[in-house]
Amino acid sequence: MLTRLSGGLIVDPAQGLNGTLQDVWFRDGLIVSPPESGVLPDADIDVSGKIVMAGAIDIHSHIAGGNVNTARLLLPEQHRNFMARKLGHAFSTAHWSSTETGYRYAQMGYTTVVEPAVLPANALDAHLQMADIPIIDTAGLAILGNDDFLLRLMRGRASQNQINDYVAWTLQATRCLGLKVINAGGANAFKSNVRSFDLDDVVPDYGVSSRQILQTLQRAACEIQLPHPVHVHCNNLGMPGNVDTAIATMEAAQGLPMHLAHIQFYGYGNDGDKGFSSAAAKLIDSFNKHRNITMDVGQVLFGQTVTISGDVIAQYSRRNDASPSKWVMWDAECEGSGGAVPYRYQQKSFVNSLQWLIGLEIFLLAEDPWRLFFTTDHPNGGPFTRYPHLIRLLMDADFRLACMAELNQEAVAMSLLKDLKKEFSLYEIAIMTRTAAARMLGLHDRGHLLPGGIADIAVYSKQADKEAMFTHAHMVFKNGELVVKNGVVQLRLHGCTQTIQAQFDPHIKRDVQAYYNRFYNLSLDNFAVGDVSFNQTDGERFMMHKCGQPYLANTLVETK
Amino acid sequence: MSALTFTLKHRPDQRVDLSPLVPHLLEGLESTQIAALQLQAGKRKARVDELFTISGSDTQAIVIKNSVAKLDFIGKELQDGSIKVEGDAGAYLGFGIKSGEIIVDGNVGLYAGCEMKKGFIKINGNAGDFLGGALPGNKMGMKGGIILVKGNVGERAGDHMRRGNILIEGNAGDYCGSRMTAGTIAVMGQTGRFLGYAMRRGTLLLWNQPQLSASFNDCGAHTLAFLPILFASFRKLNSKFADTSIAFNRVQRYAGDMSEIGRGEVLVKLG
Repeated sequence: MLTRLSGGLIVDPAQGLNGTLQDVWFRDGLIVSPPESGVLPDADIDVSGKIVMAGAIDIHSHIAGGNVNTARLLLPEQHRNFMARKLGHAFSTAHWSSTETGYRYAQMGYTTVVEPAVLPANALDAHLQMADIPIIDTAGLAILGNDDFLLRLMRGRASQNQINDYVAWTLQATRCLGLKVINAGGANAFKSNVRSFDLDDVVPDYGVSSRQILQTLQRAACEIQLPHPVHVHCNNLGMPGNVDTAIATMEAAQGLPMHLAHIQFYGYGNDGDKGFSSAAAKLIDSFNKHRNITMDVGQVLFGQTVTISGDVIAQYSRRNDASPSKWVMWDAECEGSGGAVPYRYQQKSFVNSLQWLIGLEIFLLAEDPWRLFFTTDHPNGGPFTRYPHLIRLLMDADFRLACMAELNQEAVAMSLLKDLKKEFSLYEIAIMTRTAAARMLGLHDRGHLLPGGIADIAVYSKQADKEAMFTHAHMVFKNGELVVKNGVVQLRLHGCTQTIQAQFDPHIKRDVQAYYNRFYNLSLDNFAVGDVSFNQTDGERFMMHKCGQPYLANTLVETK
Repeated sequence: MSALTFTLKHRPDQRVDLSPLVPHLLEGLESTQIAALQLQAGKRKARVDELFTISGSDTQAIVIKNSVAKLDFIGKELQDGSIKVEGDAGAYLGFGIKSGEIIVDGNVGLYAGCEMKKGFIKINGNAGDFLGGALPGNKMGMKGGIILVKGNVGERAGDHMRRGNILIEGNAGDYCGSRMTAGTIAVMGQTGRFLGYAMRRGTLLLWNQPQLSASFNDCGAHTLAFLPILFASFRKLNSKFADTSIAFNRVQRYAGDMSEIGRGEVLVKLG
């Protein structure tokens, strides 16, 4: 079926279109070139005066996996059994249930979301949850860097090739799109009672430093040609003065591509009476010098949330701040560790206010939407449902000032945010949340409205209040099907999960099999990801992408 | 004015949420308006007059006749007035009650008096698990008032209890007083295993020797002057607890749970 969206104002950075009046044609789920004149569409949808963008892509949002489920279990008050729920959708009131996740993302015009922390041993669980998320496409990033197998290889001075094989095998076995490193070595050291772990600290019993692990995995990601650079959660998350750790990590990247996640949590200095200050300017200064680095922000937004992370050192250290006061920490045999700590970000708090200010400072100072991405590290900085609010904060300087009046004024006085007048344009929002995001993930079939791309399209009504505009998209198409109209979900599609096809020497399988036979009380087969969905075959469920050059934003060319 | 009476027409197939039928929500409503209120019954909604015949008009005194164990949330967040239940009640009886009184002739289900703030609940039959407890995930159960049970109670009575009195004439199930922060639970009958599991503070007052966990320490025999005062406070109740012959002041005292902060006490009647 040939469909035309006519009269829309296209915002598509991939084509350099910024509000250009142009029709979009798509057929059988793919965008096509406008046919010769005289050919009539089977369906003609009038979107005159509306903003038309590609479907948005979230590169870092914890929507599935063990930690997410632990958080759901820890906070039953969010989904009481006597609450009214959507019929036919079991657990639909669980915050955030897979149904709610798919629906609420789609309503905002998001069509692809990446779960950035899939523990290999939990990959099946993560994929089962992702298969249950309706409408949107998903992908996972597999966590390595604290696992006994890798650290043994490194202790035994294994060759880089062996490690490359292990990384590639892991991505294939867990059906993930990329590689995630969380506080490299830290979670393993935690098991030896280490309670703080810096870039040059050494993991007890293994004799390898965090830096060595990080660089080895980064090299592996480059050498097996993952399009998405290694996705790094640095050491010292949330500690005053940790900007130096972030900058040291940028240096450690040695000019190779590297992505630093939720960087707001690393924009902290230790100046001032309270020993906590904004170091956003220092961070951005270094970011501008290291053009191989990409980052996402992990903005903090006020309200109740729950922090979930595989960085057990950071989680354990904040357990006493839990609100409500309950928390879970866990150690996985041979793999990693992690924890879930509920938290309420409060405007009256000096620290929380400063975190909010630092995040926005990073957004506004960076001035490079091709390298700096839009996240709240859902749910760690705030739930993804607050994205429209964050977009408004970025696009509306007066609104920012009004919000700042509500904050802890001691924190406001220490921040330079009040002097930052920059307002993001729709074009820049589209770069951050669409075009650059897709390119960095190596997903060339989306994030743009060029012929050949999948017809994931978001149509918004122009409004002065950008929060209202992005809360409910006027229309959203997923694979060419109308899934949201006037902010209401019309169709419960099954999404699919994006994976990467990396090459490896099959020898590594034997080594891993032998390792599992020796150390695990379950067979390796129990962890295999296959036939995960009850509704789709694996052929429908998993979409393969090819390896290629890691993402390096060429800012000067792209933004012209 | 006669009591506003809801008489159940027939036993419902699904559980019914009765939380809208409380005095503070019905005050000032005409009988026809009350009849048109919607109740959640399983997956669907049902009008009140579909399930009940309505008589009387005093919204401050509500009576539910022919009540069965499928009627949940009776007296939810009751602020004043009274509710009398003739028959059994379902789960969450008197959930979060703030004042007033609820009296049930028969048995009640799970979570009766859950997160109760104040007021009085009297149950003439048995009560289910988590009497006066906290909802799963919440850290504070009953915070005040009195729950009186003439029959037996299930497991986890007084879970996460914070303040107030739970008086049980019959037996209590396992984990009685688990995770208590404070408050008093008195049991005239037998208690089950894991009494006071992880209790922090609070008092368990017993007439019979319990089976205690190893994390409770024997502190010896005591004569406690506060016990006659406590028993005196029960005099106004229509209960065995009001009877002067059951009172005592000589007890064996055990402190625990030592795997928590250990400031709770189990007082067992001596002699």
